[in-house]
Amino acid sequence: MAMKYLEKYPRSTARGLWVIKPQWHVLKLFAKTVFHRPVTVLYPYEKEWVPDNYRGRPGLDFDKCVGCGMCARMCPTACIKIVDSEAADGKTVKRPQVNLGRCAMCGYCAEYCPVDAMTVTPEYELAEFTRFDLLYGPRRLAYDKTTEGMKVKLEVTLQSDIDNGNAERRVSVFSLDRPELTDAKCIGCKKCAKVCPVDAIQMVEKGTNEKTGKPILRPVIDEVKCISCSNCIDDCPKDALVMKEVL
Amino acid sequence: MADSIAPIVAAEEKLQQQADKMETDKMWIIMGPQHPFSHGLWTLKIKVDGEICVDAEPIVGYLHRGWEKETENRTYPKIIPMADRLCYAASMTYTHLYCMTVEKALGMDIPEKAKYIRIVADEVCRINSHLMWLAAVGTDLGNLTVFLWAMREREYFLDLNVKLCGARMTTNYPRIGGVRNDTTELFDRDILRTVDRFEKALWEIIALMDDSSIIVSRMKGISYITREQAANVGLTGPAMRGCGVDFDIRRDDPYDNYDKVDFEVPVLTEGDSYARYMIRTEEMFQSCEIIRQAVKKIQALGKNAPYRVKAPSRVPAGTHFMRMEDPRGESLMYLVSDGTDKPYRLKVRSPIFTNVSSAKLQCQGVRIADVPAVLAQIDMCLGETDR
Repeated sequence: MAMKYLEKYPRSTARGLWVIKPQWHVLKLFAKTVFHRPVTVLYPYEKEWVPDNYRGRPGLDFDKCVGCGMCARMCPTACIKIVDSEAADGKTVKRPQVNLGRCAMCGYCAEYCPVDAMTVTPEYELAEFTRFDLLYGPRRLAYDKTTEGMKVKLEVTLQSDIDNGNAERRVSVFSLDRPELTDAKCIGCKKCAKVCPVDAIQMVEKGTNEKTGKPILRPVIDEVKCISCSNCIDDCPKDALVMKEVL
Repeated sequence: MADSIAPIVAAEEKLQQQADKMETDKMWIIMGPQHPFSHGLWTLKIKVDGEICVDAEPIVGYLHRGWEKETENRTYPKIIPMADRLCYAASMTYTHLYCMTVEKALGMDIPEKAKYIRIVADEVCRINSHLMWLAAVGTDLGNLTVFLWAMREREYFLDLNVKLCGARMTTNYPRIGGVRNDTTELFDRDILRTVDRFEKALWEIIALMDDSSIIVSRMKGISYITREQAANVGLTGPAMRGCGVDFDIRRDDPYDNYDKVDFEVPVLTEGDSYARYMIRTEEMFQSCEIIRQAVKKIQALGKNAPYRVKAPSRVPAGTHFMRMEDPRGESLMYLVSDGTDKPYRLKVRSPIFTNVSSAKLQCQGVRIADVPAVLAQIDMCLGETDR
């Protein structure tokens, strides 16, 4: 390896009044641009090409979304709020609403979406006249030209896989971590089953309370249905559920 | 080193001679916070004796956002997009530094491919930052052509960022345990073409700067800093290497895979403003070399090599720090974790905060008209200075 620039400079020519060479370079560029295509584009009429994974405003596939709130939880600027929305069949469902005035376009919502409903979109012209116009509701977030590249997938390699010589295996983060129940802490309040967005938690009867005569209920987690959104862990009043991390 | 001390002594003698002749009051001039010379919001107070600057005092803090306090309320992955916003020109290196600090605290090792991708991304960021600096120096010296040409070249590297991670400047690319995504299709082809093209274009920009006696005479021989002074005041980065201190963290305390790529660290003993300019220009060529080697290593690792390992969400209690060679100097993050998923304290050492503290040293004996040209060599960025 050698220095490229420091070998040639400083030159002694710069000591005197030597300003012809820079002028010559500018003239050369002038001659080039007469024949060549310009570097700039006429912006409102022409636009630069952007790749699929370009991080513009967030987009949402309304029917795919399960309303787990993972996007709201991971958003660093807290611009996503889970609101009640009406589905096609008239039911009230929970869907994200994005305040683009606060959005940092970091793409975390698309990355951490367990069902790939949240996407990044290449839309970047987002100026509005009022702040309320910047509130994008669940329906307005829809983007019809969604491609596969816009659904940013969070695929990782496990350290245990690398150690076992299985380095080429990719797993989705949402298929790994599952909540684990500490039986002694659980009071059987059914909150976890209510809050689960994919109905992966079933309350199962495990015997009868001897004092009151009521049945003892314990949550049983369907590990295939679970998307590891950790809603049940957040809502557990007795901290009986903890996320068991697979590494 | 003796010859580099001589001019400052001569300047002092000259001042003394002038002072003997006539008594004049010294005057404080306040430049900033809204001033064409200050790239960002900061104030420089200079004390002038006639036309010569005898004392200077930088005032920073107009852009304080409470960054370090805000990180204490966020989980570890959420701080990565925030680290982007520390500095718009060196966003990739700060994100990289933050991820390295947390990885050190977790005691985890990241895959080889992620290390090389991070090197490539870092060096693209370094070229971006240096081109931004070159544009600023060009305007401060009154050469608008350099500004336009440097910004034109920077655009190609921003396009590379878009291809790699989907955003131009706030990249949000490194992750705790690797990088966000693998290199995209044809990225290696594009980056090699861009680098080849850039090296040719950089020679033309150099011809504008170095072959023009007007530009060189405004940088050469002014604002001398000796090796000892640079070490004592805490200068780091290209400004320090221009003063003759042979130290680069990429070579002397290698992080990631910098010990497996071959590059030179430019060092000059002149210690003047022109030397600091030359160091940065040479660094851009060296960055191109590093990119070429790292891209070859990525290609050799194959398409299916792992690029991201899963990181645990909780960091064990303890204190850890990590330092890296930022485009502007040595940046450091100090993490105190208490075993939860949020940091207890995250301290950032910004290279510019210490570099700008040497303003007094740099401005002594300099004419008022040259003060912007001298302080442009710091490559001021207020986002990371005030945090």
